[in-house]
Amino acid sequence: MNALEIKNLTKSFDDFKLDNLNLTLPGGCIMGLIGENGAGKSTVIKLILDIIHKDGGSITILGKNNEENINITKEDVGVVLDEVGIPECLNTEQVGKIMRYTFKNWNDKEYDKIIKKLSLPKNKPFGEFSRGMKMKLGIAIAMSHNSKLLLLDEATNGLDPVVRDEVIDMFIDYTRDENHSILISSHIVSDLEKICDYIAFLHKGKLLLCEEKDRLLSEYCMIHYSIDQADRPDDKYIKFKKISPYGIEAVIKRNMVPHGMSVSPVSIEELFVFMVKGDGE
Amino acid sequence: MMKGLFLKDYYMMIKYCKSFLIILIGFTFLSLLSKDNLFFLFYPCMISAMLPVTLLGYDEKSKWNEYVGTLPYKKTIIVNEKYLFGLCVQLGVFILIAIICAVRMNISSNFVWKDYMVLISMVFVLSFISSSISQPFIYKFGVEKGRIAYYILIGVVCAGSALASTIYGSISNVFVNFGLPVMCVGSVLLYVLSWYLSVRFYNKREYGF
Repeated sequence: MNALEIKNLTKSFDDFKLDNLNLTLPGGCIMGLIGENGAGKSTVIKLILDIIHKDGGSITILGKNNEENINITKEDVGVVLDEVGIPECLNTEQVGKIMRYTFKNWNDKEYDKIIKKLSLPKNKPFGEFSRGMKMKLGIAIAMSHNSKLLLLDEATNGLDPVVRDEVIDMFIDYTRDENHSILISSHIVSDLEKICDYIAFLHKGKLLLCEEKDRLLSEYCMIHYSIDQADRPDDKYIKFKKISPYGIEAVIKRNMVPHGMSVSPVSIEELFVFMVKGDGE
Repeated sequence: MMKGLFLKDYYMMIKYCKSFLIILIGFTFLSLLSKDNLFFLFYPCMISAMLPVTLLGYDEKSKWNEYVGTLPYKKTIIVNEKYLFGLCVQLGVFILIAIICAVRMNISSNFVWKDYMVLISMVFVLSFISSSISQPFIYKFGVEKGRIAYYILIGVVCAGSALASTIYGSISNVFVNFGLPVMCVGSVLLYVLSWYLSVRFYNKREYGF
């Protein structure tokens, strides 16, 4: 079963439009939603949860339409929003008690374990937490009620590299269960590159690409050549290119590289930057 | 099902509304000393009626009003909890004031059952009217605009009360003329209508007003 199916999703604001988005997240997989600030990542996550209402299209979460009894579906969905909205006066212990009476499947032991693992203080008010600590608490809540799907909006932002690594390991562990899936949005592409099975690029409300990560990395490569180079590839095979005084950098399908031309692997981050800034399709 | 929300509001009330408790105790004490001034009795009622609105303001500040959209609560439950929480506090304050009124009248040795009933009916109606008109505006327009609308309506209610007391001689005469049960039942019905409207408004709104 697919964890998430989004078809023809649209939402218009005064200055922004999410345009006809189609996404499918298979069960047991991690999908990275990559986009610059304002690309529409948070909007997508809020639309999935019906926090904001869509203008058109359909969303299915864990096989259920998100317009029918979404409150029941939310029992199985762990969410971290880019701003964890816990009241400032509450401490982690009080938050645990509140969530115990909120989720039917709340697991106190798991919550305490994660709180301890992430070194969160028990009695410090949430308002005195750093951004990283706030995100950690959001992650602890999202992972303590036996959720089947995690929706994480910029959840690793603000974490120091050591904790980020630890949290990413927690996400990987989480998806060892084939019923568990994650949709994670971020503009820190290196994090997503480590853990994601699928990558979706969002730019100005439009989905530029949604592909299996390994396929993406094996299918495309980077080439460098000068403007007047004779054995340059035909422009029609170039996926994205960037022209600078030092020559041309281009992303191309591996099987379209002219014979003898040296290639280098392309990273997800490079692909993303090329797509947004380069002369892409 | 709403126990988690109730607990959250309880924690917030204890933390943020300490000043309310101090005012309640202070005004209660002052009302025992002051024979004729009803303000000290009415003011705690009005403040307790504003408690759900205060909590909604804190919810907005912390972005809880958006975060709650990620939790398995129906919108109707979210509104119901605020009304029930407000009602509990309001009834608690009302009972306290009813006791104080009785003590106050006994101290001054002029306890008259009819006067007592008029006085506590006024307190009851005032607290229900205040809380009834505050919340629907918040759920319709959001905290900031809703609060402005509330203040305008409170002004209208006060002006209406002043006009009624001019016509009938005093505000207590208004209650006697219309009948205490009618006034009390009317204020409860207004509260029920307010609750119904808030649920309707909130169900149409997106989270994070």
